[in-house]
Amino acid sequence: MTRPWAHWLQPLAGITLAAALVGCEGQSWGLRRAAPTTSPLAAEQRRDPSLSGDGRLLASIVERNGRSSVLLQEQPSGRMLPLRHLRGHQPHRSPSLSWNGRYLALLMQQGGQSVAVIEDRLSGQLLRLPPPGGSSVEALSLAPDGQALALQLVQGGQQRVLVFDLSGLLEPDRPGAQRVSNPGP
Amino acid sequence: MNHRAGLLTGAILLSLLSGCSGGMPVPLQGVNRQLEASGGHRGPALGQRWLAVIQQRGSREQVVLIDLQRQLPVPLPGLNRPDALPISVSIDARGERIALVRQLEGRSELVLYRRPLQSLQLLPMTAGAIPTAVNLQADGRQLAVQVSRDGRWQIDLITLP
Repeated sequence: MTRPWAHWLQPLAGITLAAALVGCEGQSWGLRRAAPTTSPLAAEQRRDPSLSGDGRLLASIVERNGRSSVLLQEQPSGRMLPLRHLRGHQPHRSPSLSWNGRYLALLMQQGGQSVAVIEDRLSGQLLRLPPPGGSSVEALSLAPDGQALALQLVQGGQQRVLVFDLSGLLEPDRPGAQRVSNPGP
Repeated sequence: MNHRAGLLTGAILLSLLSGCSGGMPVPLQGVNRQLEASGGHRGPALGQRWLAVIQQRGSREQVVLIDLQRQLPVPLPGLNRPDALPISVSIDARGERIALVRQLEGRSELVLYRRPLQSLQLLPMTAGAIPTAVNLQADGRQLAVQVSRDGRWQIDLITLP
């Protein structure tokens, strides 16, 4: 029998089991399992974690019905936060959050190719960054303030990294800036 | 060489295509040229003015750190070793802490490098958890670690002192 609260107890058990591991310098390490999704499928696969700079949000990729979808959650509650533009564009890959989680960059599927996008959770806008000609995007990283983006590309079998300045496109998301709990208009 | 020229041209093209809010992404030409000239790279991780990335040169792979303002690589004494294969790297905003999953002697391990101290510390995992990827919170206080546990991908969070 499946108990609806069982998947909430699982991370608590993880905390009890793993908390207070002691580092070699005598400092304590707190280790816990990330809060589960509210799905009854508590044992679903999760990968590609990205924390917001303040640690309040965790983005990750979950496997559901054979599709890889990004999930944005508050920590430690595990409450899921809505995203506006990404449904129907799976598989998602390589999420990356800005400092307060205003911006979520990731790779999504569009027109048969993987495209880097950045969702502005405050304004509700989506910024698309098509891959440079003849290349495919494999991974990305967004700077904590959202002012730069690094893309890992493959072209002709070679892996390359390019860095872009986004300061003309996005407002900075610095420590102490406005938090976004719900998406914008 | 054609690939590199193509990528740089493509980067400029990208900057022309994507602007829908008035501005454009601008390739950091100095940094990108330096990356192009120093072999293949993968697994980028951005801090505030830092890029940590895994560099592929011949059969060797190592973590390199680039100061984006000065557009220069920064030494990381004690982090790389020739018998270790870097798997995943992440950096905090200030470029002081680097988290690394690497394979050493056939085993995956998670280490934390403190750049001001040039110290490297092995971070313990719970029994049965094999680290496969890492993300360091920008303030450097917490790690999100992708682990393989009992054949499933899961995420562990580690609070750092």
